[in-house]
Amino acid sequence: MKGYRKYFGKKIVWFLITLVVAVILNFILPRLMPADPVSAITGKMAQGMTDASAVQEIYKRYEEEFGTNKPLIEQFLIFVKNLFRGDLGTSFSQYPRKVSNIISSAIGWTVALQLPAIIVGWLIGNLLGALAAYIRKGFDKVLLPISLFLSNVPAFGMAVVLLVLFAVNWKIAPISGGYAFDMIPNFSWRFIQSVISHYQLPFWSIVLVSIGGQAVGMRSMSIYELNADYVKYARFLGVKDRKIVGYVFRNAMLPQVTGLAMSIGTMIGGALVAEIIFSYPGLGSTMYSAVTAADYPLISATTLIITFMVLVVSFLLDIIYGFIDPRVKAAQFDS
Amino acid sequence: MKNTLRQVFHSSKFVVGFVIFVAILVTMFVYPLINPGNPLEMIGVGTFARPGTYVSLYDATKTPTETFRLADADDKRLASQLSAEDRVAMVEWFTAAGIDVEGLDISDTDALLDMWRANYDASVKPKGMTNAKRNYYKRLNSAIEQVSAADTLIITDKDAETGELVEQGRVTKTDYVNVGQVTNVKTLPLGTDNFGRDVLKELVSAAGTSIVIGLLAGLVATLIGLTLGLLSGYVGGFVDDIIVFITNLFTVIPGFVLLILISYSIGQEQRGAAVVALVIGLTSWTWTCRSVRSQVISLRNRDHVNLSKLSGHSLVRIILTDILPYIASYVVMAFILQVSSGILAEAQLSLLGLGPKTTEVPTLGLMMNWAMLYSAHTNGSWWAYFPVILTITLISFSLNLMNTGLDQVFNPTLRD
Amino acid sequence: MSKTMLEVKGLTTKYVTRFHEDVYAVDHVSLKIEQGKSLGIAGESGCGKSTLALSLMGYYFPPLHYMSGDIIVDGKNISGMDPDDVRKNVLGTEIAYIPQAAMNALNPTRKIHKFIEDVILAHDPKANKKDIYEMAKGRFAELGLPLEALDKHAVELSGGMKQRVVIAISTILKPKVLIADEPSSALDVTSQKMVIKMLRDMMDRGFIQAMIFITHELPLLYNVTDDIMVMYAGQIVERGSAKQMVFDPVHPYSRGLMNSILVPEEGTRDVKLTAIPGTPPNLKRPPAGCRFAERCRYAQPACRYNQMPIIDFEDGRTYRCGISVPELREIYRKEDEANAAQPTEAPTDGPVRLTKGV
Repeated sequence: MKGYRKYFGKKIVWFLITLVVAVILNFILPRLMPADPVSAITGKMAQGMTDASAVQEIYKRYEEEFGTNKPLIEQFLIFVKNLFRGDLGTSFSQYPRKVSNIISSAIGWTVALQLPAIIVGWLIGNLLGALAAYIRKGFDKVLLPISLFLSNVPAFGMAVVLLVLFAVNWKIAPISGGYAFDMIPNFSWRFIQSVISHYQLPFWSIVLVSIGGQAVGMRSMSIYELNADYVKYARFLGVKDRKIVGYVFRNAMLPQVTGLAMSIGTMIGGALVAEIIFSYPGLGSTMYSAVTAADYPLISATTLIITFMVLVVSFLLDIIYGFIDPRVKAAQFDS
Repeated sequence: MKNTLRQVFHSSKFVVGFVIFVAILVTMFVYPLINPGNPLEMIGVGTFARPGTYVSLYDATKTPTETFRLADADDKRLASQLSAEDRVAMVEWFTAAGIDVEGLDISDTDALLDMWRANYDASVKPKGMTNAKRNYYKRLNSAIEQVSAADTLIITDKDAETGELVEQGRVTKTDYVNVGQVTNVKTLPLGTDNFGRDVLKELVSAAGTSIVIGLLAGLVATLIGLTLGLLSGYVGGFVDDIIVFITNLFTVIPGFVLLILISYSIGQEQRGAAVVALVIGLTSWTWTCRSVRSQVISLRNRDHVNLSKLSGHSLVRIILTDILPYIASYVVMAFILQVSSGILAEAQLSLLGLGPKTTEVPTLGLMMNWAMLYSAHTNGSWWAYFPVILTITLISFSLNLMNTGLDQVFNPTLRD
Repeated sequence: MSKTMLEVKGLTTKYVTRFHEDVYAVDHVSLKIEQGKSLGIAGESGCGKSTLALSLMGYYFPPLHYMSGDIIVDGKNISGMDPDDVRKNVLGTEIAYIPQAAMNALNPTRKIHKFIEDVILAHDPKANKKDIYEMAKGRFAELGLPLEALDKHAVELSGGMKQRVVIAISTILKPKVLIADEPSSALDVTSQKMVIKMLRDMMDRGFIQAMIFITHELPLLYNVTDDIMVMYAGQIVERGSAKQMVFDPVHPYSRGLMNSILVPEEGTRDVKLTAIPGTPPNLKRPPAGCRFAERCRYAQPACRYNQMPIIDFEDGRTYRCGISVPELREIYRKEDEANAAQPTEAPTDGPVRLTKGV
């Protein structure tokens, strides 16, 4: 258990460090740029205004709101203090709605959509990849090119294709949104049904895209493991093939868990863009409308929350990995 | 070297990927020669013209005609005038009027029309039919009659002085012109987009720009990743610790988010294609660095490297002659993947509205963004988005195939 | 005359490469081992000795394919048996195998006792897990292995310990014949000694009835096995007792092999260390005549196209060469004399590794 404690301790420290750096980057990157966000926003708000003093007034107001008139370090402290209180500022485009309020209504949709989709895609992909490696011959010959092709369809492309086929042409799924536009969220059966039917296309488009990449990766890993010495040894001791396939599958899965932890950021990036295609009421669409409306506080908050989610998921995957791979424990004793 | 190349070209995966990619590149260079001009020129006034060959109607009337008596011409005309809804509506009328439609095939235009002419009566008022619906049938009937009746269309022009209509020409049903003789014919294999631009011309240009963005981003990412990876792996110690720390940091902090933040901060005006490529490269070098580092570490203590060290060769020379040649294949593979993910990153950024500025050059992402903004996917204009998706997929598929092929050549354990 | 534990007659197996080429890595190999005896097999890497080890198991999976020949274990012919029958009733119980790289022979994510359980259940599906655990514990104690190792993963064991655990697992079902493929090559000297001692100990205590020990480290064979067999390009070129093979090799290849190593005991001869020039033939297209002719300094024109049969020339000694034994011995005697005349000259063929064979 001591080995585990050391491992988890390391992982927690690492999680905190990355979090701090992510927050700093989120704060500093936009401020490092030549274009001052406040004047950009003022420019947008003051479009068509001729009165210079009124423009000045608006500039002052936003300077105050952002605190850009204060030194950078003080701005940062205020930023962090507000962050701890859960205050992410006020949205421009949906004034006077609080950013935290917008985010909290979107985050549930994103988590409920992406987490299951990525997990299901990962599982199916790994299963197919392992099968391809084990059966080889015909199955592999067909499956590998299909998987490779699928993994290269961008998530938004898959989203558009599914949308056009199922929603526009065959009309068996709704075109957009998270639920029928004439409904108010509640816990009635009708509403839940609507949510489920709106869920299908975004869900499967993310699943389909992630299947390909996972299958390709798992296939290589499994082939690598199938050629491992322990497989040969177990075979020569008369261990049944089914048991050996079990060994191989498990051992090939392990790097796939780490792989998922490392690629989760990229995958979520693609999946967020897929949300836009379906106008799914999650963070992807929020980000899109924020960008179109030049809603600076909202963009900043969305990116921060996405980073936070990615960090949490990779942290959890690291923890899971520690439990399922005995090598982690052994390595802790070594050092 | 020659042997390695031969091995690489023995891999069927690599060859297929290579052929697709080269085909795309060749199209990029050859198509603009066949169809020159500004890809952003708006030739169409409306939005989303269907793919096909367009014949100038004006010029067609001035083209010498031939007379052909084709037996099925009238039927074809009628068939094309009667939409599927019209046909269903006709059957509805029959049933409403109490006529037996047993055995009627609505795709059989002749039978349908015979039945219609025999039975339709505008004065009949089937039960429960609204007035609007009855008027619809009246219009349908007159349309059908017109197609079968009128023989000649007269083209007239207003006389400038008297204001009277002067006959300019006649077009009869049996007049045909040769498409090759019509002065103005425009073939748009992929129609036009929402701005009335030639989609194919735009697509070819966009694919080129996107590949350049991908190459540039890949180059930047590979250079950074390679340099840091070499330093980290070869020098080791404190330098290694720092670089590993930074690399690990940027592996978990999603590059996509950084990309959004930086792109947004740069602002639309400053965001040319090159800048976008640079930003993508800057946010995606981490795994090149990781893999270079691990390769270098495994090389660091090989005999030939130690020999070089003992001979007092400089760090640069050792890296250039004793390390780089051994990791070159990995670097090439990483570069290929960077190019493909760079193209994808541009597309995603553009879809978010953070792509290159829209006035200079089209990119695949921008085309996709425009198609979505103008709802091409919901109004059936498949030519505005599907070729774009296919192009992105094919480029990235071909690059990944090449990479897989290379991987199988250089990593024998993955061989079949 | 004691009982024959393993008899192999004309065994031929081939590899099929990814370009669909056939490589006959084991070509008409025949051998015989009696109860309580051990046989060493030596040769350069790529001579087919490891493939022979795999082929002897009677259980083939791609890219290795069985072609012809018989493998008779304790009177039972296992070639031609149904593969699943072989798996269940031969592997581990009749013949067992110790792999070349024991470092990686154990599944890194499975505890040792779990793996032992898998092995025993594969042969006896009704076995009780608790009994298996007790049995494994008993065996580990008998072999002097720490009992904690049973509850560990392979990654938590040291290299030498891993190898000894592998030996214990391979012999858990008391197989009649044990085939050890370079079991000690990757270990340090101390672990190497422990592994050899363990193997000999197991022979003495009757855990195994006969053993084949494959290595490129000839001095080791001299100490471990009763007989030695030399393989070249998929064929046996010579067989004799360990002592005969080291001090009186007959086949030019055996002689080359012996001359390229040092024998540390029993009045080490004053020999000049020489490497054998050239490389083994490509087995995709083996030469028509003697396979060694290309590299043989005594080769005569006829050697290159005459098929070489294996010849019995003394009691229990065989060799495969076109030159008669007295002739060869005469040539060697002259050579040795000439070498003795100019003893302290540096080897002419560049640096020679002392323990790593050729």
